[in-house]
Amino acid sequence: MSGLNRREFLTGSAAGLAVATCARRSPARGEALVSVVRRPDYTQELYGDLRRVLAEHRLNVRGKRVLLKPNLVEFEPDTPINTHPLLVHAALEAFRELGAEVSIGEGPGHRRNTLDMAEAAGYFQAIPRFENLFTDLNLDRVAEIRLPSPHSRLNSIYLAQSALSCDLLVSMPKMKTHHWAGATLSMKNLFGTVSGGVYGWPKNILHYAGIPGCIADLYHALPKHFAIVDGIVGMEGNGPIQGTPRRAGVVVAGADLAAVDASCCQIMSIDPHRVEYLRLAVGGVEELVKSIHQIGEPVASVRTPFELLPEWRGIRLS
Amino acid sequence: MLSLLASQNPDGGWPYLRGGPSWTEPTAYVLLALMAQGSVDEPVQRGLRWLNAAQRPDGGWPPQPTVPQSAWVTAVAALLGPAALGGDAYRRAIQWIVEQTGADTNFPSRLRQFLTGQSQADPGWAWFPGTSAWVTPTALSMLALRKAGRDAHSAQILPRLQMGAAYLLHHACSDGGWNYGAARALDYDAHSYPETTGVALLALSRQDSPAIRKACGWAQAQLPGCRTSEGESWLRLGLLAHGQLPPNTPRPVRSPRTVQHAALALLASAAAGGRNAFLEQS
Repeated sequence: MSGLNRREFLTGSAAGLAVATCARRSPARGEALVSVVRRPDYTQELYGDLRRVLAEHRLNVRGKRVLLKPNLVEFEPDTPINTHPLLVHAALEAFRELGAEVSIGEGPGHRRNTLDMAEAAGYFQAIPRFENLFTDLNLDRVAEIRLPSPHSRLNSIYLAQSALSCDLLVSMPKMKTHHWAGATLSMKNLFGTVSGGVYGWPKNILHYAGIPGCIADLYHALPKHFAIVDGIVGMEGNGPIQGTPRRAGVVVAGADLAAVDASCCQIMSIDPHRVEYLRLAVGGVEELVKSIHQIGEPVASVRTPFELLPEWRGIRLS
Repeated sequence: MLSLLASQNPDGGWPYLRGGPSWTEPTAYVLLALMAQGSVDEPVQRGLRWLNAAQRPDGGWPPQPTVPQSAWVTAVAALLGPAALGGDAYRRAIQWIVEQTGADTNFPSRLRQFLTGQSQADPGWAWFPGTSAWVTPTALSMLALRKAGRDAHSAQILPRLQMGAAYLLHHACSDGGWNYGAARALDYDAHSYPETTGVALLALSRQDSPAIRKACGWAQAQLPGCRTSEGESWLRLGLLAHGQLPPNTPRPVRSPRTVQHAALALLASAAAGGRNAFLEQS
């Protein structure tokens, strides 16, 4: 233990114990298609990229209600803290072209002024009639969802009705490291569907119930999902707020959020087997990784090691 | 004021966003704002009936009637005082607030803080029972308790007010103001928010110290460029409470996005006119 300080030792022990006691096996997995698109910058080419991605995944969303759920965290337009509005608009257009009825929703964890944050992040400029399309999930109608086999200490949770009633929830996170979860990707982004109006700002109940377990619980509670990850410019180090920009130059997408997150981890040079929330959510990460059918850019060609805080260096892909 | 009246739901409560379901928090803020304007008309009476019906047997209020758990919104409702809520309902609400502390001050949490080398937390108030104390619910609870004044519970209230003030001062950010309650995240300084700085200053209104003067300075610097109506309102309320709103401060420029923020703007305007509904004695 000579290389560990007290906090690292306690954090590692707690994580190991939690995984040992809570991990469960999942049923055999089918093939999980994950698209990796190289896109060095936020340009108009994104519109074609997302049309192709949705075609690759053969989504049948005609007449369906699709909710895009970006990641809005802070009033910092000059940092890679929020999902880029151009990517969200490209997704909106791509789903509309497939005949979907598309809306946008988010429920930030710390700040209550969601629309003001969206305005500062450039959403009003990038997305015509944004205000009419947007629902603040923190202030939305709520429904209590029972968690029959929880991975966290929660037995039920209040979620935004818009996230529950849509036909497809599209998680659109920023690719970031996270000081409590290791990485924050499409599954952690589901925290924004938890009602701030019920639990407050921050949604501290998720911390008390166990962040990795809550991520796994939300993954199962919101099964009609798709992911489009903004990894063009991500955040490394002390994410999700105080980290530094890291240009990975990719968009990662797929219908299985766990498979998308595992692929993102590999791109970030994080070992998905060592990410606790993935182990809790799917049981066997080995099986998950084997199930991934990658299309587009090979992971090795876009691998961009994200700097990790010392507490998280144990999850580095070796 | 007319837009607030127009957004009242048929059940008597108010939504966060016009057309949405009634929630306790916007209902209490709107009632506080209307009453600060001297209104006791039928919409206010219907709102109070909605609020009274939503009170739980434990004395607290749920965020929304469908959620069977009393939470931080109890402090906002209690700001309305005994004349509006009824003496018994009010006393039970104050007692509920007095009995709440953040879970970060229970024994297991204190043991964990000791083992991980963290400083011991001061007992503030949580948003939701069973979780940690944070700046906004602590400030709102202090305001509600202080407004209770010479209530029969004052022997319990005074120590809680002192603890709440200690919590707030301990959780100030290095730049002088407050954010949601985490001044440092993994050894990195976090920055302050306008809205939480304003409500914390309001809760500390009868105190003076170098830390509070520094917070007033941060608030004054933020006011001209504040990006939210909520932030503008809380900053004004906080600075007015310390007599530190600079003369000739321009009128608020941000449009309220929610019903609650419209009510807060009205409350800040009333405070600028000399009637601060958060600080008046019940």
